[in-house]
Amino acid sequence: MAVFEVFSQQDPGGPYVHAGSVVAPDITLAGQYARNSFSRREDAFRLWIVPREAIHEEADLDLLRPPGDHRYRLGRYYRANVEKRKRLKTRVAEAAAEGRLA
Amino acid sequence: MTAPALAPEMAVEEHTAAFRAHIEAGGQVEATDWLPDEYRRRLLRFIEMHANSEIMGALPERDWIAKAPSLKRKLGLTAKIQDEVGHAQLIYRVAEDLGKPREQMFADLIGGKSKFHNVFHYPTQSWGDVGAISWLVDGAAILSQSGLLRCSYAPYARIMKRICWEEAVHLKHGEDICLTLAGGTPLQRAMLQEAIDRWWEPLMMFHGPPTPPEKDGDLAWRIKAKPNEELRQEFLDRYVPQMREIGLSIPDPACRKDAEMGRWQYTEPDWAKLAQIGNGAGPASAQRLAFRRLSYDEGAWLRAALLGEAAPAA
Ligand SMILES: [Fe+2]
Ligand SMILES: [Fe+2]
Repeated sequence: MAVFEVFSQQDPGGPYVHAGSVVAPDITLAGQYARNSFSRREDAFRLWIVPREAIHEEADLDLLRPPGDHRYRLGRYYRANVEKRKRLKTRVAEAAAEGRLA
Repeated sequence: MTAPALAPEMAVEEHTAAFRAHIEAGGQVEATDWLPDEYRRRLLRFIEMHANSEIMGALPERDWIAKAPSLKRKLGLTAKIQDEVGHAQLIYRVAEDLGKPREQMFADLIGGKSKFHNVFHYPTQSWGDVGAISWLVDGAAILSQSGLLRCSYAPYARIMKRICWEEAVHLKHGEDICLTLAGGTPLQRAMLQEAIDRWWEPLMMFHGPPTPPEKDGDLAWRIKAKPNEELRQEFLDRYVPQMREIGLSIPDPACRKDAEMGRWQYTEPDWAKLAQIGNGAGPASAQRLAFRRLSYDEGAWLRAALLGEAAPAA
């Protein structure tokens, strides 16, 4: 007997999300158990069955969350753009009304 | 609705027709499904060119890492360039699954046999160009890439979620550079306007010639979602007002929105020139490919070591 992890796709084209696991003597039966456990109500569009031993977990937090400030990789780091644009827009509009360059 | 299974008694034509109907009805397919030859060929060509463009797209901006005006900008630019190379990794993987080995795709790219996007065939002359690329080239790319979120080939559509999210960060990084220059000294403003003047033509060519939708096979197979001209109109709709309101002028006197038709008019780009550039005759094509070739050759020993092979002769 071996453990198989089950990944279920809820909608066509969507991501395969971990649903749980089953114990079975082989991959064919694992597939049937997975269907019975995780898609009795046609709730999976497709199922992936993977032997647990084939899964490697990368859990080193020093690698996944390296120390240091990485906010510059996020969109919200540039939140001030909105304010900057507004100020500049006013300045450009005022200059245009007075017939000069901003 | 899953892709129609390959029934042994069905002829290939019949099966292709069923597949086509599935796609036209909005269906998607997975890497392990049966795919008709024409679909596979079109997908591969499209996705391979996209992957090539991401990796070549890292080059125009890389020259400016060392010349970025502040540490903040250097970090932002480095992160963006890392992302573009990361996009290439994701997309080459999807392309590989369609049957062409990565080594072959790389050999074709550096051998000038396959294409990459026209915007990456131009030199990057100033820091203004860096801002204009990150804001407007990435802005144009987001419009076409968000259409790929609905691609009939699901593995491609799925990785596009991550890519689009990262492109949105690039856009903000570029917009910030442009806002700073536009609100700066007369010299900074001139630098940005000159960059816009240089990049306008490549941007107008970005989405390709206005191919009639019914003649575009990539649309018929739902590889892409929107006709080229539609994407260009969306680009103009979104960015022309944003450029004008910060004091930039559009270097095309014919560029205006026709109120009656609700469509943008503009000077027709030289589509023959676009084709030549795509074939490697752009102002920076040779230099970019030479650099890509150099870094591929310089990495040969590492690839060999990872595969446990003897290092190639230098
Ligand atoms: Fe990208
Ligand atoms: Fe990008």
